[in-house]
Amino acid sequence: MQGIGADSEFSWIINLAFFAFIIIFSLYGAKFQIWQWLKQIEAGLIELKKMALESRETAIETFKRYGKGDEEVAKELDRWLDYFTIMPVDLDPAGILKRLDHLLDERRDRFQEFVTDLAPEASQAELQTLENTLEVTQVLSLVFRIVRHYYILGKKTNSQLIIMQVQMQLPDILLLAKAYFDSLDAFSEGKPIGDGIGPLVVTRFAREYGATPDSYITEISREVGYYPVEVEGRTVYALRATGPGGTVGKPGLAVKTLVEQNKGRIARIITVDAALKLEGEELGRVSEGTGAAIGDLGPEKHAMEQAATENNIGIEAIVIKENEAAAVGVMDKKILDAVPEVIERIRTAILKRTKPGDKIILAGIGNTIGIGL
Amino acid sequence: MGVISKLLGIVLVVGGGIMFFLGSSDQNMNIIYYFLGLTIMAMGFSLLTAGGKKEEKPNPPTVTEIACDNPECTFKEIRDFQKGDFILKSLETKCPKCQGSMTIQGVYMVREEEPVPTV
Repeated sequence: MQGIGADSEFSWIINLAFFAFIIIFSLYGAKFQIWQWLKQIEAGLIELKKMALESRETAIETFKRYGKGDEEVAKELDRWLDYFTIMPVDLDPAGILKRLDHLLDERRDRFQEFVTDLAPEASQAELQTLENTLEVTQVLSLVFRIVRHYYILGKKTNSQLIIMQVQMQLPDILLLAKAYFDSLDAFSEGKPIGDGIGPLVVTRFAREYGATPDSYITEISREVGYYPVEVEGRTVYALRATGPGGTVGKPGLAVKTLVEQNKGRIARIITVDAALKLEGEELGRVSEGTGAAIGDLGPEKHAMEQAATENNIGIEAIVIKENEAAAVGVMDKKILDAVPEVIERIRTAILKRTKPGDKIILAGIGNTIGIGL
Repeated sequence: MGVISKLLGIVLVVGGGIMFFLGSSDQNMNIIYYFLGLTIMAMGFSLLTAGGKKEEKPNPPTVTEIACDNPECTFKEIRDFQKGDFILKSLETKCPKCQGSMTIQGVYMVREEEPVPTV
């Protein structure tokens, strides 16, 4: 007999094992791999479920402090976890941003209504913070349900394509979910988060030029106000959302309103925000560029860009680099340490690119949770 | 259990490697040694790589940094975060050094440094 180990008395076993191995793996290799992928997704799902359940518990505990009973809070919260927003139709894109803005306002109203009903004894700032807690809980629940949907669908249809996609995206999804899960500590306790660096920089800058909480002019747009300050002969409108509750407000609309109120007299718009850092970049690194630094769904950025373009105003951005976990988690020391450098860059931008007598809008974009006026 | 399984894994990998590379003095038994060696090495490797994820470290505590508002006073205090603290909050307590007013200048966490990329 010719073959592997031809002269051995065990040669037939070796030959049989060899061919059996080839046949089994060519027929069932893919099935074996799918099985392996499903096991990996299952492990991820267990993790996601744990995060979703724990975040729900934290939300219940947090809401309970403000006047409603355990059962009532749990029941209402479960009802709210399914809340959805239908994005506007984009087959006819004309006016889509206006429609989106309207829907987002409506969504925000509903959230505020729900939180006020569920926490009747909470203050305004606490209500904003509770809204953030609710949103995080909702995100974690949604992520879990979506991944579970594709897991079950993949299993049901035995579709390698579906299972493979979920398995390959799972590390990213878990990282994102973990970042949001960790952020619950900040949102439920009212601690400042990394994303709040924009409003913090603006407030610190305004305070250096004599602004106080009393000089803050409120509600130029929804939950956004500004400090008017004099800087080297220029008037700076240092704009940010109202804290220390958790809100981002509508800063784009605020910029637009200020430009309209000061028709032809605004010389520059400077935006300050947190931006996602690339892997390998240092946390808290400061970068600058051109454009509106704001990460909304569209309406706010559009309002800013349109106001700048129509009035021929230079618009620039200063960003502080952060990863997802640092942006939604409790503020990191490295991010806080970037404040003096950002203030220095703002000062340079004002002195270099504007002249005495000009008016400037300085917009600090971000969530104001834990950041006072 | 973790250490034992890792040690067993190393033993199996080394043993399997010896069987695989050295084989047998009997030419006819060589092929069986190769297969056995490979199987034992595979078992060793799976023991070495198994064991699930590393135990997650809890997040570091959040601290509140308080500083005296008097620019000539250098008093600074770092304490654990208390509910109700927020950045730029004016405190009612007076500076123990100059009796001036004090403000919360920071609420933050000191996270573990990310490994520095070598490229």
